[in-house]
Amino acid sequence: MPTDVPTAPHVPLPASILSQGPNLIVSIHAALDDEQLERLQRDLLERVGRDRCRGILIDVAALDVLDSFAARTLADLAYMAQLRGARTVVVGIAPDVAMTLVRLGVRIPLTQTALDLEEGLEWLGT
Amino acid sequence: MASEAVRGDQPYDERVVVELVPVLRRVVGARIKDPHTVEDLVQETLARLMSSSRRVDPDKLHQYAAVTARHVVATYAERNDRARNRSHLLADPSDAPPPTEDLLLQEDREFVAAALERLSAEDRDLLVAHEVQGQDTTTMAAELGSTPGAVAARLSRARASLRVEYLLAAEAIDPPSDRCRPVLRALSSSDRRRQRELDASGHLLECETCSQLADRLFERRGQPAEDGVVRVPVSRDADVVTARQQGREVAARAGFSTSAQTLVATAISEISRNIVKFADRGEVAISLVTEDGRQGVRVVARDVGPGIADPDVALRDGYSTYHGLGLGLPGAKRLMDRFHLSSVPGEGTTVTMEKWLT
Repeated sequence: MPTDVPTAPHVPLPASILSQGPNLIVSIHAALDDEQLERLQRDLLERVGRDRCRGILIDVAALDVLDSFAARTLADLAYMAQLRGARTVVVGIAPDVAMTLVRLGVRIPLTQTALDLEEGLEWLGT
Repeated sequence: MASEAVRGDQPYDERVVVELVPVLRRVVGARIKDPHTVEDLVQETLARLMSSSRRVDPDKLHQYAAVTARHVVATYAERNDRARNRSHLLADPSDAPPPTEDLLLQEDREFVAAALERLSAEDRDLLVAHEVQGQDTTTMAAELGSTPGAVAARLSRARASLRVEYLLAAEAIDPPSDRCRPVLRALSSSDRRRQRELDASGHLLECETCSQLADRLFERRGQPAEDGVVRVPVSRDADVVTARQQGREVAARAGFSTSAQTLVATAISEISRNIVKFADRGEVAISLVTEDGRQGVRVVARDVGPGIADPDVALRDGYSTYHGLGLGLPGAKRLMDRFHLSSVPGEGTTVTMEKWLT
């Protein structure tokens, strides 16, 4: 039975998910709308089990806007992944985006973050 | 020979073509008797050769010239034949107006008459006096005890109303509500103040008929609905992204820093999400504004959804109806300099927010 059944007949996500050792490296290439963010969340959770991965690194450097919904979706994902035994680190939040998140009032502990890919991988312990 | 006559990097010039004249005379002369016509056609051929000689291989120029000449002669003969065949007809049928024209003209007259009928008596008299009887605005102003400027303005409004009524008559549309006519007239006359008073854009959002007619009105006049206003229809998740990207662009045009652009884009993202979540459809209108010499961006997000029963509660942090963070409205308010929310339960919600350059 094929395991790689596409979850939805939508346009492909503008994001790539690479499996590297025990980690998943996710890089987002373009702005994602709410539906796509939720799809990414679902896909990743599924991959955690399928690839038996221990860590997820999400690179959001290409996102020029992280609003309350995106922040919440990422935070939820980190928590859900943790419940499945994987740690999540978000890297590449641009300075303007960071400033906006604070002004917006997103005070929830977003998730573990790191400056960039390198720092993120280090935190995941590769 | 031609190829020896010219040197250098320009393979052709007028001399080469002129050398062809005897050849052309022979080709054309063999087919046409009248020497004047021969000369005319040779000149016509030369003109064509001059414009195309650069594209032709020098060795093939002679053949090319001969073929061109033959074509010119053939065209001439065809023209002549047609003229001869039709010479017994008093009028060339190809020039006659199509039979439908009369009907269209008559229909048009009826539409204009119907449209004039709908105008107020004063507007009608003004238009007839100016457009039909040719009175100038100064004379009319003297008669009315007004100024030429005021008369011109009234004429312009009357014309705008006439455009609306003509369109309604021609499309055989009966406006579905009492608000349609005034809104369409305000749009047609580009009267911004009146449009605001009537909440024209709100009406266009609700009224399918008017939004189509408005497009037609502006198409006829060949100008966009409003200058510098970017309107993004919002009904799906993807529209939220479009709206915030447009917002960023407008903010960039206003000279905002990238971090201020991000604030504006994020605020738009928050409020347009509310449209998608709570209303069927709405729109985000983004425009550049100036006040006291300061440049700013104004965002008006409106929907025709259920409305918000208690705006004060909705603006409170953490109030969420869909398990969100509850930061949508209050968050957007914090990101912008001015924020106003008005909502009529059962009709819709409008959020107006502004960000100013500091």
